[in-house]
Amino acid sequence: MSRQQNPTDCEPSVPVWDKFVRIFHWSLVLCIFTAMVTGFLMGPEMVPVHVYAATTATVLLFLRILWGFFGPTYARFSSFTFSPRTVLRHALAVRSGHAKRYLGHNPLGGAMILALIAAIALLGVTGAVVLGGVLKIGPLAGFASYMTGDAAKEVHESIALFLLVLVVGHIGGVAFESKHANDPLVPAMVTGKKPARDGDVKSPTVRVYLRTMVVVSALGLAITVGGMTAMASKKSANMPVTNISPLVADECTACHMFYHPSLMPAKSWAALTATLDDHFGEDASLDEETTAEIRDWLMTHASETADTQPANIFTRALANGAFTLTEMRFWKQMHHEFSDADFSAAPVYTKSNCAACHKDASTGMFSPFKIEE
Amino acid sequence: MKKLIMTAVAIGLGTIALADTPASILKSYEAEAGAAGSVARGQDLFMSQHTGGKPDTPSCTTCHTSNLKASGQTRVGKTIGPMAVSANPERLTDAAFAAKWLRRNCKSVLGRECDAQEKADIIAYLMSL
Repeated sequence: MSRQQNPTDCEPSVPVWDKFVRIFHWSLVLCIFTAMVTGFLMGPEMVPVHVYAATTATVLLFLRILWGFFGPTYARFSSFTFSPRTVLRHALAVRSGHAKRYLGHNPLGGAMILALIAAIALLGVTGAVVLGGVLKIGPLAGFASYMTGDAAKEVHESIALFLLVLVVGHIGGVAFESKHANDPLVPAMVTGKKPARDGDVKSPTVRVYLRTMVVVSALGLAITVGGMTAMASKKSANMPVTNISPLVADECTACHMFYHPSLMPAKSWAALTATLDDHFGEDASLDEETTAEIRDWLMTHASETADTQPANIFTRALANGAFTLTEMRFWKQMHHEFSDADFSAAPVYTKSNCAACHKDASTGMFSPFKIEE
Repeated sequence: MKKLIMTAVAIGLGTIALADTPASILKSYEAEAGAAGSVARGQDLFMSQHTGGKPDTPSCTTCHTSNLKASGQTRVGKTIGPMAVSANPERLTDAAFAAKWLRRNCKSVLGRECDAQEKADIIAYLMSL
């Protein structure tokens, strides 16, 4: 082991965190920070950023787990996995001020790393269920219903809060050690080196299986990507109708954008088509026969028949037969950041012109990946 | 040659039977009204502010603007082709389409349907531009 003199305090320093661990750590920090800010604080237009950051975090985590088996001494799980009893004993020792110094993670720190890994892995899994069930994209789109996705969202949010607590604990622990044990842990995660001191608890040196790591991770990623691609090819059930009635398309887009039938329940379509002579302030009446044909088609493909997010939410929100989407509480929540002036300005002109920003509005999907402002 | 003439006549008759023209649409409303359409009355009706209709649409110009050779816009931002026949080759080439929108828009702006004379006036005005 190479020993270097630290010019500032004359303590010898030893390498502890290898380059992979350091790059992984700070990349993960960036990804989790991005995912937390976009997930907790920002609107639906940031969902793509959230998903990309979270996917990157999951891939990083996958590689880190493998590195925990094939990497160098202090990257190994074996160097920081302790029995609960050892963790407890260490915690008590910290409280009494007699804790031993570990060159790698101490038992409490190691437990924290395991908890962080578990939380992020669970977030990845539950996130994929949300993506599939609610947004109908990704490997689980054909497997998860909206209801499943919506339930997974609750779990995902709870784990995310738990992760936030863990992150605070992790940073708190590092700050505590830095101060009370005079151990520069943050610089160590940058340079990879820690000062060596008498009485340090060291892990037995192990060799690095670099070739195995490369082969296993390449194979693992290939199998995962292949499997997910295969899964993604399964069609979701109860998707909004794509074969649009030419009559409905023609008549209903004479003045405004095409509102997909899956955006409102049958009751709302019945009420709307019954009042075409005063249609949002204009006469849009048609002869009886045409009106009936349009009404029947809209009711046949109404929101009750589709399992998308808008269909599920609007079926409930408009259960009373109302048909002004922009007056729904959900609609207002989703658009609270925009002022009336934002809507009246060209090229939007009105709140009812969904397609100005939602490029997939006519399909009824309203994916956050299709928002362009 | 004979065949060619026959074909031409057939196409000509077919065109007359199928396609409406501004003139044919005007003629049918004039026949119903029993009088010729007036450009001046049509212009007055089109450009005036009215009070009997729906509050959001007090005038034809609310959506069509007062420059009828340019495009107008529905209240939700969708483009409406120019109303002037000279600026829009599709204008007044479908009698049923014209009837539908005259019915709807007179009710929106005036609060009642237009009579045949008013329709003839408006069409005469749109043809004069």
